[in-house]
Amino acid sequence: MAEDDREWVFESIVGYLSSPIWLIPINEFLETKSLVFDDEEENKLSYTDIHMQYKTLVERLLDNYMREVGISDQQFLDACTSPFAKSKTMQSVFQPILATDDFQMFRSMMVQKNMELQLQALRIIKETSGSLPDSLTDGVDEMKELEEQEISILQDVLKKSKEEYEAQKRRQLLEVETPSARSSTSHKSAAISREAQDTNFAPGQQRNSAKAKTEVNRDSSGSNNVHHTRIVNGSSATEYNPERSTAARKEVKISRLETEKSGALSGSSSTVTPELERNGVEDSVLPAVRTPPRCAQGGGSQPVSEACLEEAHREAGFSKPFTELSTSQQEEIQQRAAYLRLQRDKLHALKKEQQKSTPTSPEVTSNPEPTTTSNVSPEAVGQSQRNGACTPPPPPPPPSAQRCNSSKKEVSAEERKVSADERKQLQKRKHLADKLKEEVIRK
Amino acid sequence: MGEAQKGLLSVIEKLKGTTEKEVRIVLLGLDNAGKTTLLKSLASEDVNTITPTQGFNIKSVASHGMKLNVWDIGGQRKIRPFWKKYLENTDLLIYVIDSADKKRFEETGLELSELIDEEHLKGVPVLIFANKQDLATASPASEIAEGLNLHTYRDRQWQIQACSAVSGEGVQDGMNWICNNIANKKK
Repeated sequence: MAEDDREWVFESIVGYLSSPIWLIPINEFLETKSLVFDDEEENKLSYTDIHMQYKTLVERLLDNYMREVGISDQQFLDACTSPFAKSKTMQSVFQPILATDDFQMFRSMMVQKNMELQLQALRIIKETSGSLPDSLTDGVDEMKELEEQEISILQDVLKKSKEEYEAQKRRQLLEVETPSARSSTSHKSAAISREAQDTNFAPGQQRNSAKAKTEVNRDSSGSNNVHHTRIVNGSSATEYNPERSTAARKEVKISRLETEKSGALSGSSSTVTPELERNGVEDSVLPAVRTPPRCAQGGGSQPVSEACLEEAHREAGFSKPFTELSTSQQEEIQQRAAYLRLQRDKLHALKKEQQKSTPTSPEVTSNPEPTTTSNVSPEAVGQSQRNGACTPPPPPPPPSAQRCNSSKKEVSAEERKVSADERKQLQKRKHLADKLKEEVIRK
Repeated sequence: MGEAQKGLLSVIEKLKGTTEKEVRIVLLGLDNAGKTTLLKSLASEDVNTITPTQGFNIKSVASHGMKLNVWDIGGQRKIRPFWKKYLENTDLLIYVIDSADKKRFEETGLELSELIDEEHLKGVPVLIFANKQDLATASPASEIAEGLNLHTYRDRQWQIQACSAVSGEGVQDGMNWICNNIANKKK
């Protein structure tokens, strides 16, 4: 095989991989299928099916191309293994092919696409409604404020706990009553025991301390202390684990219920709480934070309470996965996800429409061209999307759209809307044909 | 079409141009057998934060000059039907057994024998890890081998290896067997 022959094959392949015939289906596939790809470490089973579909798509496309151009597999391979193909710029061109055989590469491609779309959707939401709705900003700023508030409350509580430390003797006596109270509470709510169980499974001390808190909460049932305890619980959880703070909040809610339920059972153990809290906070450097609270509880009650907790765990079902934790967040997350999805779907539908509304012409290659540009550049997509979303009945095209030498983006976004206008279509086609010719000649 | 596809696949494979030999290993077994723990142990990662696998995990481990791509697929009953999808082009099967879970020896034996009969796993070497040997109630590997009738496997290489994925004991021995076996088999 002559050297320049190989070069020709290689350039043809690269040209194909940069052309809309290849890019459009690939891009569309990525956009439609990327939704389920998140950046969790574990892969979902559905990824595999999508990967298979992707393989089929790429194979079909390449097969068609090679047959059309008359390149054999061997030529294709020779070209692709040539030094040109190894360069950095070429790597990105060949990536979609490589991803068929490399699941991890495929996965990262999809995850990236999903994020891009997510960001696009967010930007569109922001641009159309001025600001992001509460459900989408929640996890960030507001939480920080809350955190700060809670930290200051925690400090107060710590001070108080020091004062109450003096009353330890009296408390130990009253501790004996607590187990009975706790056993009844642990039966009352499966939800809280699940929380406790989850935290129990997790080895991290943060979770242990969270667990200690749940325990604490159940213990403390002094009627005048209810509110107090609630705050303590919330604040410490948030402080330990800001990113899980929604879960912590939920936990607080549950434990408040719990506290109220058991309100009458042991009135005077109120002092336990701050003390335990203090332990939980200050000893958080210890590998197991669970131990300090246990010590503080005093000898007699310890085995009993342990048994109760164990029982509660069993009741909740040991096989509950750790991800159960997230159920507490799910409501909020679902709300957000639904909103985002809605936006994404809209975006997607619009993109599709754009592609469809391109006038059907015998020149297949000339038409997809603008769509690709709009696909490739997020700016353009955002632009057209905004137009469509803000003003449901598409406005009559501004006169500027008539200029056919306006930028391609504009052509693709605006001219398509007036696809009825034959003249414009012709102009566009001509323009595109010119572009294509130019590209071909350049090659 | 079929021929073209075959050619295309080989093209794509060679496209990678990696000098390393890549080996595809599938890690299977019942739920709670310790597959993900074993996987993380192989990759020298923390084994303390493992939760039941709902999907699958992949890790690439470099060993003996080869790149081992290990696929760990969840073992819960409801996802076992999906195992089939991951068996194609597999170079080696690792099957993990909870040696202390005597009640489910029969179940695990059935799953293994089904795998052995799979078309895609024809002649594929099997390494069985008798995991959780750190537990006092664990059965010895020899007993498990007998229970699984491993000696009746004539169509492939097999090996049973006692191990504890948590402590890491025995895991490396198993990996050595794999590497020796693959190195012999693959040109």
